[in-house]
Amino acid sequence: MRTNWHDYDWQLLRNGPLSPNLHMALDEVLTYEVGAGRRKPTVRIWEWGALAVVIGRYQSVKNEVDPENLGRYGFEVVRRISGGGAMFIEPGNTITYSVYAPQELVAGMSFQESYALMDSWVLEALKTLGIKAWYQPINDITSEGGKIAGAAQTRRGGAVLHHVTMAYDIDAAKMVQVLRIGREKLSDKGQTSAQKRVDPLRSQTGLPRAAVIDRMIETFDDLYGLNRDELKPEELEAARNLAETKFSRKEWIYIIP
Amino acid sequence: MHGEYKTPGGKLVVVDLEVYTGRLARVQVSGDFFLEPEEALDRINAALEGLPATSDEAEIAQAVRQVTAHAEMIGFSPEAIAVAVKRALSS
Repeated sequence: MRTNWHDYDWQLLRNGPLSPNLHMALDEVLTYEVGAGRRKPTVRIWEWGALAVVIGRYQSVKNEVDPENLGRYGFEVVRRISGGGAMFIEPGNTITYSVYAPQELVAGMSFQESYALMDSWVLEALKTLGIKAWYQPINDITSEGGKIAGAAQTRRGGAVLHHVTMAYDIDAAKMVQVLRIGREKLSDKGQTSAQKRVDPLRSQTGLPRAAVIDRMIETFDDLYGLNRDELKPEELEAARNLAETKFSRKEWIYIIP
Repeated sequence: MHGEYKTPGGKLVVVDLEVYTGRLARVQVSGDFFLEPEEALDRINAALEGLPATSDEAEIAQAVRQVTAHAEMIGFSPEAIAVAVKRALSS
């Protein structure tokens, strides 16, 4: 049976900067914790501790990044557990969040529907900031000016993980040097330049990054209620172990070279 | 050999492969698609391995379909993989 947002006592995690690998690991750990019922459904706001390119579970490293420019600009490649495309992460330019929910919240829904549902509160928050945004199936949040955010989902251990990276600001010239964005990928978008595809929140809102995040949290709280929470020591410990034994390892990052 | 195909309104499928003695070898499917469970990718690669390089799109798609009956493919399809394979073969 399908549940709804109001059936849960939502928790908020908002930590200081963490390494990209630890973020990957926390997403896996917290998804299983929510699925197992040891943690209440949770929204996590990320702060990035380093420059990174986050590639999807099924992407090829060599197809997505330019190794020379990656090193030159000091980016590392990390691979997440969900599918989808590469994300170009500069800490101050990016707003990233995860939602961990019991799978019942999206029971019986198509993937398209569940993506839109999981970000409905974000569209509401953007609306209060004067941004008319909508869901562009399968997994983009977009506005008239272009793409604002990309989402990815995976379902594990009885829970759904929905995580999203939004462009607060973007150094598009650097992005196209670090990421390889092939012609085939743009073939049905009617765009020839990767720069044109992203429309960042900074220029649209004129607000500091933290203020945009605050508004997102307020909106979620208004809609469904949200209680401030902290990572449990055992969750952090499990994530540190997983970052070391899986996410930082070449066997995982280069699982598709 | 390398081929790419983007499903209109969907996701990019990339295929890297070689041909040994007329058959597909070292096949690697990748892309920005969504797939559950993750192990399904290994089954797709294995299903393509050893197919005659002269296979047509329908035959390639059928080989993929046989191993993805219980998988969820979002933003791509057996047919999209077949197009990318054919493009790799003619690259």
